[in-house]
Amino acid sequence: MKALKQLAIGAVLLPSLLSAQERFATRNGHIHFFSSTPVENIEADNRKVTSVFDATSGAIEFSALIRAFEFEKALMQEHFNENYMESSTHPKAGFKGKVEGITADDLKKPGTYPVEVSGDLTIHGVTKPVTTKGTMTVEAGGTIKAKSEFNVKPEDHGIAIPGVVRKNIAEQIKVTVDLSYTKM
Amino acid sequence: MRPRVMIAVAATIALAGGGTYAYLEYNRGVAGADSMPVKETVTAHQLLADFQADEAAATARYVGAKEQVVQVSGTIRSMEPDGTDKTTVVLEAGDELAGVVCEFANKDLPADLRSGATISVKGICTGLLMDVVLVRCIAVR
Repeated sequence: MKALKQLAIGAVLLPSLLSAQERFATRNGHIHFFSSTPVENIEADNRKVTSVFDATSGAIEFSALIRAFEFEKALMQEHFNENYMESSTHPKAGFKGKVEGITADDLKKPGTYPVEVSGDLTIHGVTKPVTTKGTMTVEAGGTIKAKSEFNVKPEDHGIAIPGVVRKNIAEQIKVTVDLSYTKM
Repeated sequence: MRPRVMIAVAATIALAGGGTYAYLEYNRGVAGADSMPVKETVTAHQLLADFQADEAAATARYVGAKEQVVQVSGTIRSMEPDGTDKTTVVLEAGDELAGVVCEFANKDLPADLRSGATISVKGICTGLLMDVVLVRCIAVR
């Protein structure tokens, strides 16, 4: 009777346990952005990006604190937070979407898989759809490295650039996302 | 000295001074946590609890309208080098799934720091994701 009960509990829990094994996360993801103009280059890094990837469903999410973007120059960092991103009002940026091109079965085979990611990108409180390409590399130790690159237009997210500095900031900002996941 | 010469000298000094200020201001580096006053002193448990109870209020208090330094004390749960010149030190905060994440430049990380040790950290509080995140941290112990 006891064995039957254990079997029944196992049957109920097994699917969720198996599903849980296919979830990956990081709290040390890296986002880099780069704006290039003849006047100046502006770039910043955030190495404290949190992300979760569910290999079973392909669902992917990441979230970044705007204040955690670090610049080489203090003035650029201050302008970024106070004038453009208004980080006191919009403290986070995030993405919710789906990865196609890799399945839970692929996780058993180390290698690099080209993927397509599509979903909603929220910056400055404004959400826009994004579709981009990237790669996911399954490593022998079970970690997954995800990389992608896409462009963001500040105006699409309601970020106003004053005319006097328009030539200093690129119309398209290159964003690079680099995530190294471990199993949850 | 003739008035016109005096005006020319004054204008040259003002231009040179203004130019120097503009150059220095443009190239000013980001301030370290050790060069800023401590705005709040709190335990890691309390910091996470405050963010989990009311994120907006805690963001206003600990992150602030401008960068500010928060001093946090706690026990080190883990130390995770990120493969660059940074190491993430996670402080216990009474929640298995969350903690207080402190990003150190490796040059600012005391060599004898180990998991299980208690520490006091000064850093710039940037808000809450899964964890409360502090960057540009230094150990004060």
